[in-house]
Amino acid sequence: MKRETDYGYVIKPVYTAKDIEGFDYQSDLGDPGAFPYTRGYHPEGYRSRMWTQRMTAGLGSSSDANKVLKKYREMGQRGGMQVIHDRVSCSNLDSDHPLGRREAGILGWPGSSLLEFEELMEGIPLTGQSITLLGSCAPSPMRLAWVIALAEKRGDDLSKIHGSVMESPFENYMGQTDIQPLELNLKLFLDACEYVIRHKIRMRAAIISQHFQESGGNNAQALGVVLSMLKEVCTRLVDERGLDFDDVAAVPYELVTVGTRFFEEIAKVRALRRMWARMAREHFKARKEKSCQLLIAVHTSGRTMTYQQPLNNIARSAIQTLAGAIAGCTALDNATLDNAHAEPSPLAARMSLNTQHIVASETGVADVVDPLAGSYFIEHLTNKVEEEGYKVLAKIDALGGMIAAVKKGFITDMLRDEANKKFREIDGKERLIVGVNHLVIPEEEEFRVPIQEVHPDSDAESIAHRTETWKKARDQQAISDRLAFLYAEAQKGDRHNLMPAIIEAVKVYATSGEISGVIRLARGLSYDPFKMIECPFPLGVRRAA
Amino acid sequence: MNEGQGIKIIVSMIGLDGHTTGGEVVSMILRDAGMEVVYLGCNQTPEAIVQAAIQEDVDFIGISSHASNYDQIELLVRLLGESNAAGIQVICGGNIPHDRTLDLKAKGVAEVFPPGSSREAIVGYIVGQVRARTAA
Repeated sequence: MKRETDYGYVIKPVYTAKDIEGFDYQSDLGDPGAFPYTRGYHPEGYRSRMWTQRMTAGLGSSSDANKVLKKYREMGQRGGMQVIHDRVSCSNLDSDHPLGRREAGILGWPGSSLLEFEELMEGIPLTGQSITLLGSCAPSPMRLAWVIALAEKRGDDLSKIHGSVMESPFENYMGQTDIQPLELNLKLFLDACEYVIRHKIRMRAAIISQHFQESGGNNAQALGVVLSMLKEVCTRLVDERGLDFDDVAAVPYELVTVGTRFFEEIAKVRALRRMWARMAREHFKARKEKSCQLLIAVHTSGRTMTYQQPLNNIARSAIQTLAGAIAGCTALDNATLDNAHAEPSPLAARMSLNTQHIVASETGVADVVDPLAGSYFIEHLTNKVEEEGYKVLAKIDALGGMIAAVKKGFITDMLRDEANKKFREIDGKERLIVGVNHLVIPEEEEFRVPIQEVHPDSDAESIAHRTETWKKARDQQAISDRLAFLYAEAQKGDRHNLMPAIIEAVKVYATSGEISGVIRLARGLSYDPFKMIECPFPLGVRRAA
Repeated sequence: MNEGQGIKIIVSMIGLDGHTTGGEVVSMILRDAGMEVVYLGCNQTPEAIVQAAIQEDVDFIGISSHASNYDQIELLVRLLGESNAAGIQVICGGNIPHDRTLDLKAKGVAEVFPPGSSREAIVGYIVGQVRARTAA
């Protein structure tokens, strides 16, 4: 069995003061709340702000997902909600698209219009908890527009609403794709980020290394990739959109994966806080302390949830949740015991939320900030993963930054090699996984867990049929006018912000497929990425002001 | 390690499933075993996969599934039958619950490999099937 970190550092049997020679408390760690923030941002840690305890929702119709969100609240979800798109709306396809109707709502929330968002949020306030919508980059501007439009309809003060609805375009190269081209995703992502900054809207953008690691990337690579993503996004917002870095820095947040390698995961998160703080201050010349504090949310690793003996996953999730809590995080959502089988069943969701509350309330972990600080091993590992992470960052920098590295195939190649290595390590039993290659049980002794099925009334065809019927009942003239305006706007170049036109279109219930299609047309692409449907609107005939 | 020589297989995601890691890792395993792998990637409709399978004259279609869209795997099997290409066996792997595995097999999927399946299990199955076909 290998005794080395997932990035190949061989672990010694014991660590002593010699392993952290030159260690300086003030410059390497600082007190919690002080630069370089290795120990976190709050002097009193979770005593002053408990992490947001949330679960990912999204399956079946929007009304189904609404019921699940309400149930999660009963089950102990606190501080925020998180909903993931289905595969259809991830790519800005509507559920009545010929391909959409085959799988709407079967792996997430079929969110493709303000109507769906209204149904999702029925009876749930927009304020008082963070609103997180995710799944892919492509719907980022729509999600922002839905929040703005619904807040206006409800008469909510937009400045009281917070959360995260934007998502960076890089996940498409990290084992989880949507169909929109990089240039378009990037442009609309930057539009949405610029819009929230200029309008002081407290909606953040997820810069997600989670997919990278869940697809096989290692901890050190994840650090290099996160910092490259942050650097690219912030640089573009400053240079291309003329924004101040101290305003820009309030937008990104990082979603990291925490897997079963307990100490290594904690070291990674600590290193990330320090690396960002230094990048913000030294590279971006941050003036505000807040800009040096990267918000970090933890997702416990779905990849490590085994198909075999799924109850074992409760133990894995507990260990990972504990690691996430010790590492210090602003929010945590944990993978469920049935993760390798289906979307979370109520039982599995309850187990995961209970796991968070057990860690928060019973273990004492939430009482003390950064409790492992000063441990020879933890500090050594934090230095080590930082050192290796900087090497990856330097490689990406040398290629010209994250976008250049993506275009040159560097990210996908690195990920593929690492995923293959991980498979070989397990297949060759260099890494043991209970139930998979260690202590395997015969098929007949396998225990079954409840599997969450989509409600029969909310199958893909029903969702598609509803969309089709509803589309005809909308104010066609208003939609046509707003889309014609958007079409004209979208021809004004990459730096012309389309958010105002998108918001206007969303308010009259134009769908993601329609909005995205019209923008695509304006850029010389086909209305439908699959070329199966044509644009139903006479664009350019009328121009709304 | 060349037990798969002479075997041609498509590896693809189906429908709008955008999760590529499993399919890419399995492609590597099959290539290492000497097979000719035609990797189609994402955003492949069942219709497109059938068309590619006939054009490429493959022995197997391997579907990497991480999106619960099992109806499309069933559609793929149906379309192969309708195209007189039922000789091309469909195998799949990924996050597929036990009962769905039984359904898929009842509807003509040759084998389903759960997460955690070994190289030996996957390669061994394919090679065994081809040997059995040749012997028959």
